[in-house]
Amino acid sequence: MRLFGWHWLAVSSLLAGSLSVYAETRPQYGGTLHVTMRAAPVSLDPADSSQPESFAQRSLTMLIFDTMLSTDEDGRTQPALATSWQASQGNRRWQFHLRSGVKFHDGSALTAEAAAASLRSANPSWNVSADGDVVVIEEDTPDPELPAELALPRNAIEKQSPDNKLSGTGPFHIVDWQPRKKLTLGAEEDCWRGRPFLDGVEIEMGKNSQDQLIELELGKADLVEVAPEQSHRVAAEGHLLTSSAPMELLALIFTRDVASPDDKLLRDALALSVERGSIRSVLLQGAGQAAASILPNWISGYGFVFPTDADLTRARQAREQVHTIPRWTIGYDADDPAARLLAERLALNARDAGLSLQPTTSTAVDVRLARIPLASADPWIALANVTAIAGLPGLKNTGRSVEDLYAAEQADLATQRVIPLFHLPASYAATPVLKNWILRPDGTWSVADAWLGSAKP
Amino acid sequence: MMLAWAEIAFAAVVQVFASTGMALAEPCGVETVQGRRWRMRRAVYNFGIPNAISNFVTRVSRSARGLRFAAQLSTVMLGLLVTASAADWNIPEQQLARRIVAVTGPGSVSLAVVNRSSLGRRDYEAIRNGLRSALEPLGIRFMKQPEQPATTIAISLSENPASYVWVAEIRKNTGEAFVVMVSSLRSDRTPGVHESVPLTLRKTSLWASDDPILDVAVLEESATPNRIAVLDPEKVSLYRWQGAKWQLEQTSTIVHARPWPRDLRGRLIAAKDHLLDVFLPGVICRSSVSSLALNCRESDDPWPLMAGPRVPGVNGGALSVFPSADLANAASTLVPELGAFFAPTRNFFTGVLTPGVGKFTTVPKFYSAAVLPRDRYALWLFAASDGLVHMVDGASDQVAKLGWGSDLASVKTSCGAGWQVLATGTGTASGDSVRAYEFPDRDPVAVSAAVDFSGSITAMWTEAKGDTAIVVTRNRETGTYEAFRLALACGQ
Repeated sequence: MRLFGWHWLAVSSLLAGSLSVYAETRPQYGGTLHVTMRAAPVSLDPADSSQPESFAQRSLTMLIFDTMLSTDEDGRTQPALATSWQASQGNRRWQFHLRSGVKFHDGSALTAEAAAASLRSANPSWNVSADGDVVVIEEDTPDPELPAELALPRNAIEKQSPDNKLSGTGPFHIVDWQPRKKLTLGAEEDCWRGRPFLDGVEIEMGKNSQDQLIELELGKADLVEVAPEQSHRVAAEGHLLTSSAPMELLALIFTRDVASPDDKLLRDALALSVERGSIRSVLLQGAGQAAASILPNWISGYGFVFPTDADLTRARQAREQVHTIPRWTIGYDADDPAARLLAERLALNARDAGLSLQPTTSTAVDVRLARIPLASADPWIALANVTAIAGLPGLKNTGRSVEDLYAAEQADLATQRVIPLFHLPASYAATPVLKNWILRPDGTWSVADAWLGSAKP
Repeated sequence: MMLAWAEIAFAAVVQVFASTGMALAEPCGVETVQGRRWRMRRAVYNFGIPNAISNFVTRVSRSARGLRFAAQLSTVMLGLLVTASAADWNIPEQQLARRIVAVTGPGSVSLAVVNRSSLGRRDYEAIRNGLRSALEPLGIRFMKQPEQPATTIAISLSENPASYVWVAEIRKNTGEAFVVMVSSLRSDRTPGVHESVPLTLRKTSLWASDDPILDVAVLEESATPNRIAVLDPEKVSLYRWQGAKWQLEQTSTIVHARPWPRDLRGRLIAAKDHLLDVFLPGVICRSSVSSLALNCRESDDPWPLMAGPRVPGVNGGALSVFPSADLANAASTLVPELGAFFAPTRNFFTGVLTPGVGKFTTVPKFYSAAVLPRDRYALWLFAASDGLVHMVDGASDQVAKLGWGSDLASVKTSCGAGWQVLATGTGTASGDSVRAYEFPDRDPVAVSAAVDFSGSITAMWTEAKGDTAIVVTRNRETGTYEAFRLALACGQ
């Protein structure tokens, strides 16, 4: 099992070195926490892969549901709904022993059958079965990462009633759900981990970053998201800002494979034209890290090998080898204010190299500017997830060494479907009354152990 | 100083034994880093052995032959010391060297080594030298000033959460570029060093565990504790100090039907007629007379707020005696026994008291309490869940905002006014603290400097004999739980 050290993880403006905001007294029970988020999911089903990935969505999932295993602050896999697990047949067959006495929010007992059904729903390719209180997962190929995969929010254990109501085993149950607008959660009195300190959580969805900060300042929200480009200002204004390590990949994703040698040269030219340094300084206000690798350096250890500096000379040389320059379109998320500026700046860089890149909010594009929250701090899972999102062939890894990882990432980049641009942190601002909330290693937050105290001790 | 050198020398000897497989079986391969730290810890832990080496050297040095031997031994040990650190990285150094040479072949190169990791300068220099030493036998020659277009090798000592990652970026004089790398598993982070003990309020480490600790009770002691009970969420364990370490004697499971509340609290109280009682939210366990075998039952019976030996009091009530060791001493104090009901699904006392303090049978819900006996009454302090401190003397309930944390404990000492209240602070990003106070009237006066803890204080209870308190902390960096005994010493 991999060991992770997260000693550097939280980069907090006011609470350096701490993942959770420290408590000045023992936790107090009661109160409703108000949270805002930009994402506006239509479903709370963790297995619904049709919705865009976001840290917020994952955070919500883990308030309502539990996973079979969890990941601790050091990145090690820990028991959750499963108390123990073992592999056999060369990591092809895994057995997970289920915790006894756990109940879904609807009062029904968590059984191995229910857990297996949930995992089958989320992973149709897995062969999942129940044997007494054991969940058995069998795969055709060895999967040493399976325990880490079971800790992912998308593999949370859910139960759907005949009237399509979702039930989990997490610290909060659903009180009211207005898709895309608002979610109201209530404390689960019989939660197997103990009742949460908060009585409830209200989450307002679809709020842009500016509105979220206003709500924080007006005292209408206790925990809000902060866009990377705003984090510097938010910290300067004295808010309690907490940021994760860079966990989000901002990248250009080509929507089709390389079609010809000319296409390959032009993609080379585009990659060489991007002035990451100045974009980071100006548009991202110094947030995040320039990247030419899919995995951040802190996850892989070798990210610095991929050069991030623009090389306009080489870009032009590549472009000049091509006679006919196509007019590419670059798509961006119309709801993301920073995305438009980024797309326009990338178009300018491309023009300097003699390329044509037209920003658009249309979905039918040649290349799109994508934000991809990395699925896990496990490098193999993170890489596999990006590979899938970018529509690349599955990873063909034979070993698990860092060189194997490097080779797999190089193979992904060699397809020229992905041009990594930046690795960005997940940042949040909270009111001083919110105590003991946790920013997890994967960029998601948890308020299962949070409580509302007084503003000043 | 001599001792320190002997320790280091011993570590070096252990290093050699380990590397030759003579004494310590270490995993081979890239896990050498972990092995090194383990060995170093063992070397320090076995403190008596370096002493023995030191004394041995002194004795033999009395003769010329002895002197020669000592000089040779010192030379050998110094040599081992110098090479010890480098040898730790030997395997990844050799691996990377072989991979580099597989690309470059033998010949002249320009080599640069950069540290991009959390490795210290000493390790960095050892690795840099080790890499050069590993490359030279493979036919690599190093050029100080490139005299001609040569192959350049830029080695970066990097890391990821799991491993140290050493990456060699090779650029041949033909312009071709290659990347080769190796990884070496990282060891766990070492715990932070605790601050030194302040002058008056002294903390003594009793126990540490990666798993949660709720309370620790000292059951037997002479000069130092030699038998303790440790309460965790699922069991009580008895340990005896034997052979310079705690040996597990017995374990008994706590049976409970309901899930524990978050911020679980629990208390161990040593008993006179049986081993101990265990108090947990909604559950009370009693050991058998002679062993730890626990009989647990769901119960909302009150928890005792002070846990000294009981003597009969007036009107059928009971009194606790503090300090218990001075039962026959006229200076001992009798405190009316007071119990409080703990909320079975929460982390606080409900506020209902039994039998009560004077006319008060209820106070606001509270986290902890402390008592200050006076001539004619006892002043009880309750750390309420709203952050206020209620001072109840039986006739009045005075409320104060003292800026304390939520854990209070009282101790009976021979210092100052005789009774002090230990109060946790309100916490900082780095940790919590405890400070001692006296109450000449109703305003607290600090009588000690704060003792700092590198973590959150999760429990503080007065010990049964009344003159010390147990503090349990959770280290924020390592997640380790640690139990300390806090004692007040008179004077500076």
